[in-house]
Amino acid sequence: MPSLIHVENLSKDYRLIRKREGVGGGLVDLVRPRHRILRAVDNVSFDIAAGEMVGYIGANGAGKSTTIKMLTGILTPTAGEVSVGGLVPWRDRLQYTRHIGVVFGQRTQLWWDLAVVESFRLLRKIYEVPEAVYAEQMAVFDKLLGIGEFLHQPVRKLSLGQRMRCDLAAALLHRPRILFLDEPTIGLDVVAKESVREFLREIRDLQGVTVILTTHDLNDIEQLCRRVIIIDKGKVHFDGLLEDLRLRLGRRVRLTVDLREDRTREAMQTTTEGLPVNWQPAEGRHHVAEFRRAEISGAEVIKLVVNACPVSDLHLAEPDIEEIVRDIYRAAGKEHA
Amino acid sequence: MAANDTLPRGKTRSGWSLFIWQIGIYTAYFAQFVKSRLAYRMDFLIDTLAISVSIVIQMAVLTTLFSKVKALDGWSFPEVLFIYGFSLVPLGLFNLISVNLYRFSDQYIIQGKMDRVLLRPVGTLTQVLCESFNISGLNEILLGSGVMIYAARELGLQPGVGHILGLVILAPGAALVYAGVFLAITSVTFWYEDRMGLAPPVYNMIRFSRYPITIYSLPVRVFLTFVLPFAWVAFYPATWFLGSPGFARAALLTPVVGLIVFGGAVMIWRRGISRYASTGS
Repeated sequence: MPSLIHVENLSKDYRLIRKREGVGGGLVDLVRPRHRILRAVDNVSFDIAAGEMVGYIGANGAGKSTTIKMLTGILTPTAGEVSVGGLVPWRDRLQYTRHIGVVFGQRTQLWWDLAVVESFRLLRKIYEVPEAVYAEQMAVFDKLLGIGEFLHQPVRKLSLGQRMRCDLAAALLHRPRILFLDEPTIGLDVVAKESVREFLREIRDLQGVTVILTTHDLNDIEQLCRRVIIIDKGKVHFDGLLEDLRLRLGRRVRLTVDLREDRTREAMQTTTEGLPVNWQPAEGRHHVAEFRRAEISGAEVIKLVVNACPVSDLHLAEPDIEEIVRDIYRAAGKEHA
Repeated sequence: MAANDTLPRGKTRSGWSLFIWQIGIYTAYFAQFVKSRLAYRMDFLIDTLAISVSIVIQMAVLTTLFSKVKALDGWSFPEVLFIYGFSLVPLGLFNLISVNLYRFSDQYIIQGKMDRVLLRPVGTLTQVLCESFNISGLNEILLGSGVMIYAARELGLQPGVGHILGLVILAPGAALVYAGVFLAITSVTFWYEDRMGLAPPVYNMIRFSRYPITIYSLPVRVFLTFVLPFAWVAFYPATWFLGSPGFARAALLTPVVGLIVFGGAVMIWRRGISRYASTGS
């Protein structure tokens, strides 16, 4: 498959100043700062083809954002190379940024005090979007995101969900080939999250945009990405299809049970005797079991528990990204050992 | 394997078309700024009022100050006044566009607005300078022009087309000197993160530039001409209008000095951009 984004041995070091204590120390720092080198991204390589939608995931501080910032040309790497369609992001910045759209979930790209439509008009001018394309894009955004309703409100008066919809539209106004999304659903409620995902699916099918997405929400990945790249401590730990990842890990699920009377852990363990279900050490009315979906279904476990104990409440939860990353990391550790 | 799906390289602009494009972008940003100020109508009214009051007060202060002084180191009162008046015009031009240089460290580096700037296909410096304007810079330009006209009349100078042309060339040239000095200082933020830094003390030194440079000792003169070139923001260019022997010819170098200082600062800025470290998260 032809590669649109080529990343090879990419690394980024940050030089952190280790501050000395006190006023005297502050003065010494001025003259002779002590540095500590932190390698945020360590020898990362991958290729992404046009039209792919890739989830780039990892725990906090794993190096996700740093990678995205190098791919978008914000940061200059310490070592390694990036070539996107023949352009080097940080070197060919003025050319390159015409082809990409970027959304940072944490902060808006729009002008805070202006009506949304004013931001779009300025962006149209900056990216030299032809009038016809502009009208077409705005029609699409109104249809898919319903931004027409609040086009004339100042950005500062929008809700987070409305703002995110506007940010997505702003990032796509100039029909970029590549869209970078850094935590696009952070802080949104379930409905707003769903509408953002729906939009991303539609826009991918409609305009064939290549998407790289970082997120904390595993549902984002499941619903949008076939391929995931997992990064931890700056290194790539997994790069492949989501199905393969699931197969490799089995999917760990956690069942929380609240009872109407006390039970020991052993008693709970006997309810699922002989099955690959692991009850965590606990006494009393609250118990937690872990199992893998690949080995046993949730319904089966629930049926056994409900039949054997007086259950007052049940809760089945998927592991979050942090846990998956930890699993991957542990698995990698074992392989090396 | 190298990336083999290529992105089209857009047109690269140069010369005239680059100039026209840049002007278009400045205008668009300026329009945006005015609109966002108008969003707070009361603020806008208060600003306008404050500027008017401030002009009246500054006029009163000048009149009082110079009614006590008859001459300064061989420079007559109207000559000193003319230099003072001229100094305000480039300062006003510079103040119009320099707001974000003072805020740069705090807003762009520490709060991370620089990320957004780097994501747009417009020069970084253009964006930073044009994202906010200080309209009260017009205050200084008007006040300075008024003082110059008054002083010129006292000196018996007949303002002609040549003088206006001279002002149109020398004032922006001098403003470039200011812009260069403060851009260089701002760029230091890329190496040493610091909220306020060097700008305020240097800004305070601007006042030295409003008087005839001959009143200072030789080391100070050399310092203000070659090191921190504030002699070029008022004294040298103003002498061109006064026709002072010796200095008047140096005055014509003002735009050249402006271009050198500003060009040097842009180079430091560009090096700084490649060192930009962004914020966490």
